[in-house]
Amino acid sequence: MDIYRFDKSQELFQRAAKVIPCGIYGHMSPAPLIPPTSYPFYAVRSKGSKFYDIDGNEFIDYMCAYGPMVLGYNHEKVDRAAAEQYGEANCVTAPSPVMVDLAEYLVDLIPGTDWAFFAKNGNDATIYALMAARAATGRKKIIMISGGYHGVSPWAQTPGHHGLIEEDYQNCIRIPWNDIAAFQKAVDENSGQIAGFIATPYHHPNFADNEFPKEGYWQTISEICKKEGIVLIADDVRCGFRLDMKGSSNYFGFTPDLICFCKAIGNGYPISALMGTEALKQVVSKIFYTGSYWFSAAPMAAALATLKELKKIDGPSIMHETGTKLLKGLEEIAKGHGYDLKTSGHPSMPYLRITDDESLMLHQDWCAECTRRGAYFTSHHNWFVSTAHTQEDLDRTFDIADDAFKALKEKYQK
Amino acid sequence: MSHELLTARLNAYAVLKNLEDLVVHDREMALFTKDWNIAIRFFVLNGPDAFVEFDSGKCRVGKGGGEKKSSVILFFHSPAHFNKMMDGKASPVPVKGFTKLRFLTKEFSVLTEKLEYYLKPNADLLADPKWVALNTRMTLTTAVWSIPELAELDPVANILSSHMGKGSISLGILPDGPKVNLTVNKDSIVPAKGEIKAPAAAMTMKDMTVANDFLNGRLDAFTAIATGDVSIRGQIPMVDTLSLMLDRIALYLS
Repeated sequence: MDIYRFDKSQELFQRAAKVIPCGIYGHMSPAPLIPPTSYPFYAVRSKGSKFYDIDGNEFIDYMCAYGPMVLGYNHEKVDRAAAEQYGEANCVTAPSPVMVDLAEYLVDLIPGTDWAFFAKNGNDATIYALMAARAATGRKKIIMISGGYHGVSPWAQTPGHHGLIEEDYQNCIRIPWNDIAAFQKAVDENSGQIAGFIATPYHHPNFADNEFPKEGYWQTISEICKKEGIVLIADDVRCGFRLDMKGSSNYFGFTPDLICFCKAIGNGYPISALMGTEALKQVVSKIFYTGSYWFSAAPMAAALATLKELKKIDGPSIMHETGTKLLKGLEEIAKGHGYDLKTSGHPSMPYLRITDDESLMLHQDWCAECTRRGAYFTSHHNWFVSTAHTQEDLDRTFDIADDAFKALKEKYQK
Repeated sequence: MSHELLTARLNAYAVLKNLEDLVVHDREMALFTKDWNIAIRFFVLNGPDAFVEFDSGKCRVGKGGGEKKSSVILFFHSPAHFNKMMDGKASPVPVKGFTKLRFLTKEFSVLTEKLEYYLKPNADLLADPKWVALNTRMTLTTAVWSIPELAELDPVANILSSHMGKGSISLGILPDGPKVNLTVNKDSIVPAKGEIKAPAAAMTMKDMTVANDFLNGRLDAFTAIATGDVSIRGQIPMVDTLSLMLDRIALYLS
């Protein structure tokens, strides 16, 4: 099997490092790709489930741009809808009618919601949700889950990171996932002070097994929130429309006050949404919140096309089925080589870990070996499956995984 | 937490620690100290309590009284007093070992001046590979021995360390440079020199020059990792947390 080289990626990165902080920053930074020298840094082309790097290597992409790609790269229907809207009007002095069409479509789609507000990134939606909770309750504090991710705003970042001050996180209370007692304790100890509780529908931290909510978790949390007047915020940025077309809260059987969407909503076109209940509509109306590109119409047209197509083909079921096949196949291959590959989270966005080495070094090596053979696997983050991944992709992936395990055995036996 | 107290603890437990390497890796200082047989205790009221022992060309620095009976005890009436002494702006109060005063003012000060020489870079020194090698070794030691003190007394590092997870982190410089490690337990973080088997996380720097730039903040970590100049493996959150804690050192040690 051919082993890829990344000479041009490294060469371009050297140029980038001179003029761009970190060369590549944020979640696309190569730093958590272990080792980065086994990964491509720059993509030049993409189609369906694959992308092609600057060195000419082809990858079956199991990161899907860290979530936005859901129907496949360069999806014809989505791109056509966006192109047509670009041809009519995009970033103009007034919004386009498609904004209303998209809001109506979403409100019909997502149970328990009565309005939709559009922005660009998931972070825009989580900030607005936080502001809405505070405006609605007149309270300051927010409860969140340790290891949960809600964007890069200072309040959402882990204390100690650069650029933060103590005041940024002094009103944030972090509790463990799936721990109703801890939630109740935080509420009791801060009686009348909690504005909101924000969490992802299930826990998908990096570098750790992902966890579904325990039986009755969300229902109990919802009851406590209602009783205490706490705004319940579902951060469905990562899971949204991969688990359930009606939102992941529908999948887990609860109705939040606010839901944040992004990533899969536009199949790569920049758009996010905050949706909420009628009771909060007047409150959010009073918050001044906007952005230069938040009214751009082409991403709205793309989102509408994406959602319609996902619904038409029952995208979540396809991704569930594909993800399940992928995980089953990989687990069996690992077992055949004497390794235990543990999978967690939803099959459409699974987290994997070779348990034979708690340090994750073995797992990191395997993911790198797979990537060097054409299956783009990260070792730190949950993967993403799209509706564009085919049986042919899976078969190729299994061959790659098998060869990578052979390489791993050889390396560690030495 | 007082800023002076944490600075004093870093000076006592992390900076003075470098005397151990100075008497091994600087030939002049190795010869100069080879016959020393003395134990000096630095006692700071409401602050650190450290010993520096010399025996047959070897030096040991640590917390408390050490293994040898102290020949000299130097008293400092406050952490600020000790920090001023470390900056060469104050003198200690000897409470034991008056007969050794000449040793302290003449011979020991030669050693500490040499330590200062290796810890304070300038453009000329940075061009000298030998100086860079020892400065890098000392910077690594200072960094690692600072971590337990920061975790205890720096409010931000304290929060960070509580999320660090348990296990060992190894840090090393290739091809044959120094290796150190930190073991994170439930209630403590223990620094040590040398290699450790099966660390939870590892950070390896390509060579002394890269390590010197990296440890002194002249090389962006994300860029260095992407290019392979610095390699990290294992439980990356531990390395990430360690890196954030290391960035706190500059707030206390100039």
